[in-house]
Amino acid sequence: MKISLTKPDKIFLGTVFAGYISVMIYMLVTGYKFQLEGVGQRWIYQLPFGEGPMSRINPLTVIMTWVIMALIIFISTRVKVFKIIPGRKQSLLEVAMEYVYDLVEDSVSKKEFVRPIFNIAASIFLFVLLSNIVGSFPGINAIPTDGGGFKITILSDTWYAPTSDLNMNLMLAGFVFVMSHAFSIKAKGFKSWAKSFFEPAWPMFPMNVIGEIAKPVSHSLRLFGNIMGGGILILIIGYLAKYFIVPAALWGIFGLFFGAIQALIFTILTIAYISSLID
Amino acid sequence: MEIGEGLMMLGKYIGAGLAMGIGAIGPGIGEGRIGASAMEAMARQPEMIGTLTTRMILADAIAETTGIYSLVIAFMILLVV
Repeated sequence: MKISLTKPDKIFLGTVFAGYISVMIYMLVTGYKFQLEGVGQRWIYQLPFGEGPMSRINPLTVIMTWVIMALIIFISTRVKVFKIIPGRKQSLLEVAMEYVYDLVEDSVSKKEFVRPIFNIAASIFLFVLLSNIVGSFPGINAIPTDGGGFKITILSDTWYAPTSDLNMNLMLAGFVFVMSHAFSIKAKGFKSWAKSFFEPAWPMFPMNVIGEIAKPVSHSLRLFGNIMGGGILILIIGYLAKYFIVPAALWGIFGLFFGAIQALIFTILTIAYISSLID
Repeated sequence: MEIGEGLMMLGKYIGAGLAMGIGAIGPGIGEGRIGASAMEAMARQPEMIGTLTTRMILADAIAETTGIYSLVIAFMILLVV
């Protein structure tokens, strides 16, 4: 496979690499010691009112979620006009979207639900994929200090991936859970949806309820464990190699490869959960 | 350091190591079986290698879920509690 880049792309990539390499040389020259601090810790902001589960937020998750949404909107504006003979960006997007569409079409039996399920699955795929990929490159992160404040670290940790926060993943999985039951009611009618909890006989009702609740739990914990575990592994092995920029192969394995596979699996399970309740 | 604190740290580290080590047995066996079956299928039908590799990686990632759960538990023992 031959990759040919246009001139603006070359300039952009060159600038990014030059930035990383110059920071690395600066770190080597000034004798910067990479310290392992704040592993697995999050900057948590206490809202001024109240005590309780809803009174604390995780500001980096909010910020990075908005950054990734802006990134998706930016990408979508770049290929707005779809041509018959596709360019590079358009064909890349078309391949990804076509793959998701084929997955949906294979597993959903009722034709009128293919399009809405594809919209949900493709949105989730793009969001999770971009946030996993962002979490694999060194960048800016914030870790808490003892006094309740926070400290911004530059290039000694990866960018903060929103999917490494369990709240984000639980929200996505809960959304899929609610949407799958909504689709089920729409497809089968309320009566037969309610009756599906009493299959094959009425004593199985608690088992069916537990089985349904276990779906979003496993759905969200799988993504959370993979992304957060990968991030901590990159951090610890980068610490062993003393400089964070050096072990670049780790970004590739734990960030890009596992991140893409986990995004795909999250999407496939989304489609499977929704389509299993429709039939 | 008091002896109680030391015992607590001992329990934390041993517990995290055991959680991760024992929890990795099941996914290891499962992924090995998936890989073996995929190899057999590839040897039988070499023209389907592309499809089989994709499906194999997907099945691997689902089989490692329980290992990921024990990783989460080990991190919780080490960092949260």
